[in-house]
Amino acid sequence: MIQSTRPAQYGFAERWLPRLVLAPSFLLSLIFIYGFVAWNGYLSFTASRLLPNYTWVGFSQYARLLDSGNDRWWVAVENLFKFGFLFIGVSMVVGVLLAILLDQKIRAEGALRTIYLYPMALSFIVTGTAWKWMLNPGLGLEKMMHDWGWTSFQFDWLVNPDMSIYTVVIAGIWQSSGFVMALFLAGLRGIDDSIIKAAQIDGATLPRIYWKIILPAMRPVFFSTLMILAHIAIKSFDLVVALTGGGPGFSSDLPATYMYAMAFTRGEMGLGSASAMMMLLTVSAVIVPYLYSELRRGRNA
Amino acid sequence: MPKNNLSRFIVYAVLIYFAVYYLLPLYVMLTTSVKSMDEIRGGNLLSFPMHITFAAWSKAWSSACTGVECTGLAPFFWNSVRLVVPAVLISTSMGAINGYILSKWRFPGSELVFAMLMYGLYIPFQVLLLPMAMTEGWMGIASSTTGLVFVHVVCGIASTTLFFRNFYVGIPDELINAARLDGAGFWRIFWRIVLPMSIPILMVTLIWQFTQIWNDFLFGLVFSAGGSQPITVGLNNLANTSTTVKEYNVDMAAAIIAALPTIFVYVAAGKYFVRGLSAGAVKG
Amino acid sequence: MGALAIKNVTKSFGDTHILKGIDIEIDDGQFLILVGPSGCGKSTLMNIIAGLESPTSGEVNIGGRVVNDVAPKDRDIAMVFQSYALYPTMNVRQNIAFGLETRGVPKKEQEEVINRVAKMLQMDHLLDRKPGQLSGGQRQRVAMGRALARDPILFLFDEPLSNLDAKLRVEMRTEIKQLHHRLKTTIVYVTHDQIEAMTLGDRIAVMKDGVIQQFGSPQDIYERPSNMFVASFIGSPSMNFIECHLAEQNGQVGVSLTSESDARFVPLKDGAKFAKRVGQEVIMGVRPEQLDVAHGDEMALGCKVMLTEPTGPDTMIFTRINGKDVTARVHPRDAKGPGEVMRLALDMSKVVFFDPKTQLRIE
Repeated sequence: MIQSTRPAQYGFAERWLPRLVLAPSFLLSLIFIYGFVAWNGYLSFTASRLLPNYTWVGFSQYARLLDSGNDRWWVAVENLFKFGFLFIGVSMVVGVLLAILLDQKIRAEGALRTIYLYPMALSFIVTGTAWKWMLNPGLGLEKMMHDWGWTSFQFDWLVNPDMSIYTVVIAGIWQSSGFVMALFLAGLRGIDDSIIKAAQIDGATLPRIYWKIILPAMRPVFFSTLMILAHIAIKSFDLVVALTGGGPGFSSDLPATYMYAMAFTRGEMGLGSASAMMMLLTVSAVIVPYLYSELRRGRNA
Repeated sequence: MPKNNLSRFIVYAVLIYFAVYYLLPLYVMLTTSVKSMDEIRGGNLLSFPMHITFAAWSKAWSSACTGVECTGLAPFFWNSVRLVVPAVLISTSMGAINGYILSKWRFPGSELVFAMLMYGLYIPFQVLLLPMAMTEGWMGIASSTTGLVFVHVVCGIASTTLFFRNFYVGIPDELINAARLDGAGFWRIFWRIVLPMSIPILMVTLIWQFTQIWNDFLFGLVFSAGGSQPITVGLNNLANTSTTVKEYNVDMAAAIIAALPTIFVYVAAGKYFVRGLSAGAVKG
Repeated sequence: MGALAIKNVTKSFGDTHILKGIDIEIDDGQFLILVGPSGCGKSTLMNIIAGLESPTSGEVNIGGRVVNDVAPKDRDIAMVFQSYALYPTMNVRQNIAFGLETRGVPKKEQEEVINRVAKMLQMDHLLDRKPGQLSGGQRQRVAMGRALARDPILFLFDEPLSNLDAKLRVEMRTEIKQLHHRLKTTIVYVTHDQIEAMTLGDRIAVMKDGVIQQFGSPQDIYERPSNMFVASFIGSPSMNFIECHLAEQNGQVGVSLTSESDARFVPLKDGAKFAKRVGQEVIMGVRPEQLDVAHGDEMALGCKVMLTEPTGPDTMIFTRINGKDVTARVHPRDAKGPGEVMRLALDMSKVVFFDPKTQLRIE
């Protein structure tokens, strides 16, 4: 049945009260989100360094940012790809695996779920601090292995410029894979039991049922999880700061830490705002088509 | 059936293996925090503490150095409390009323406002940092708790609105219509009918916002200074202050102190926490 | 002045026209049914009467007052919703009191009203329960009680029985009818169930595609449906439509009917009316009970039974006439088994004829 999209509204109060009450939020978001995005965009075309300087310089900040000589930015971008790929991939595999296993009528499921998910309640700073201690080359994992008799064991990723970004991956997966589990478990619980029963009567084995019927039905969950993880990856800042501080040198920088360093510690406001715009464009390239398809689906449903 | 037993065994083995994987860091944090530095150097990550001491805890709380000053985490902790309470309450109440309007009192253009808020959820906050810092300086609330509360409210409205809106869409319009025929208006319907039905989503949103704001680091770092910095900034400063000897036991005690409130909420109201994650996740 | 008058009301969303010019007028104390398949616009019309949606054009008049710009609460109406719309966090007493409270009725008076309504609907024992603790039938009762707590010009019922099981639905139907007799209030009642429409209504508006197909008394609509849609929508089992050719034999206008085992020319009751149409194709509408077993030597057609469906009081006989599946409703003792031939007689005084092109009834 075709539903009316809006109720009929009568009198001054019904007609204007909702608009009036919504107005502060609307204005806050218009000014302090959208206005600031524009302002930041404007800054990225100016010569601002330590202080804002509204001399128009066109794309020259972007040219500096994307110049092949600007190693630090390119390391950050490369790190984002490494980190994003591994973080999303492994979290997804671990999360899906755990969700499927937990869906097998497991005793103590509640307790296990609580354990898998608690890292999500922690701040990335806490996670970073904890892993920094465990992975530290002097007294952490390495010493433990030595104590256990594996004296040649070396683990110096935290201080090795080639490997430091992978420590961020390790801690990130530890924190977020339980979250993927929770999302997929909720999705699995939403699947109609009778489909599984029908497949079993047809003689399909359990792995086959999962592979052929259940996982394909989880496509929407998969996509929304992917979106969230990608979003976490692009915005990742705290974890790097707490775990490696972006170091050694700038070997574990991500765009978010790069932006912070340029804008607030290095007095390169123009570069900082330009890198923030690059982040925004990246996120938009992923999110806008997704939101669009979501809204369209919502309308057709 | 032996085959079935074997596969059950493997399932449980994998699940327990992962449980250990998630729990180990917590175990290491806890044991390290009650060891002395000598014991830390003498033993290893997993060795059980021989002489339990809470010296590291008291140092982390009241006297560890977080840069030049050596006041421990206590002032940062109270800063966070002073920040979280108003920020959570304001953003949650605005979300509730916005969600109510966007689901039950739609008007021409309200969908646009909703789309605007939705997209705002995804904007990387880096884009806002510079203009926000300048504006707060100009408004005279830079580096203050008020300024930080303001930023968290502005950036939190989108998700709280989304939570409530999605919940309220599930309340049948007939209920609102019945109340309108009963003579109730905008506010009375909200207070008497809608809000009493909102306890679950209220819990979800309060917990979500509490966790988000308590755990935030970026805004704390950029928009606060000295006397108003939140606990995440304090912890990071504490763990990265270069003193001659690195005191891991103090670091771990501090990390646990910083994590305790959110862990407590997670344990006490895990159901709502998980629901918030999925609700925030599905579209946000 | 009538209790409700709707004048040329339309409702469109862009190019979608939900209501295309609705005119209805009823008197005080009448029971109006809006009936039709889902999507016909009956609920939209109801919402427009209630003021929950506004019409694109046209006029709604309640109790002699144009209410287009009057808020629902000021229209002096009460409504029972399909989902009952009971406030889940309030108990029954508070549910009933809510509307009185918002209108500033004094506490003592509220109590009196609640007690009166509770007695009338026999739900005194439910007053302190929350809606979640009530059965479907009890909720329905409370929803009615809430509407009855006020004394409006007009009651609106939006498919109030559609969420009940079959037995309860019949009971509540009777109760609503009794209530109407007792209170003599004006009621507008939306349903998709033609039996509810027939049993409850004084006046029925049959709707389809945003247009009122027919507006009249139940008997009128049943016996003289204005078109094939109304004819098939009202009545169960549906009216049989038999395509036939109007011819003239021996000075009598009639139709030839052919079954698998028989053929016969059946003269019409007032054939003169159809003289103009001789030689044309028409559709004959025959209700199942108008096709009965021939007991004497009246004009009857031998029909081979394909299937029988006993319903208890009657048995449905399925057969074919003029190549169409046809249902006859006969007394069980007359029914024969599949494969056998029964002599069926048409009640030619009641059958109706439709134009195959316009689908309208031929007057």
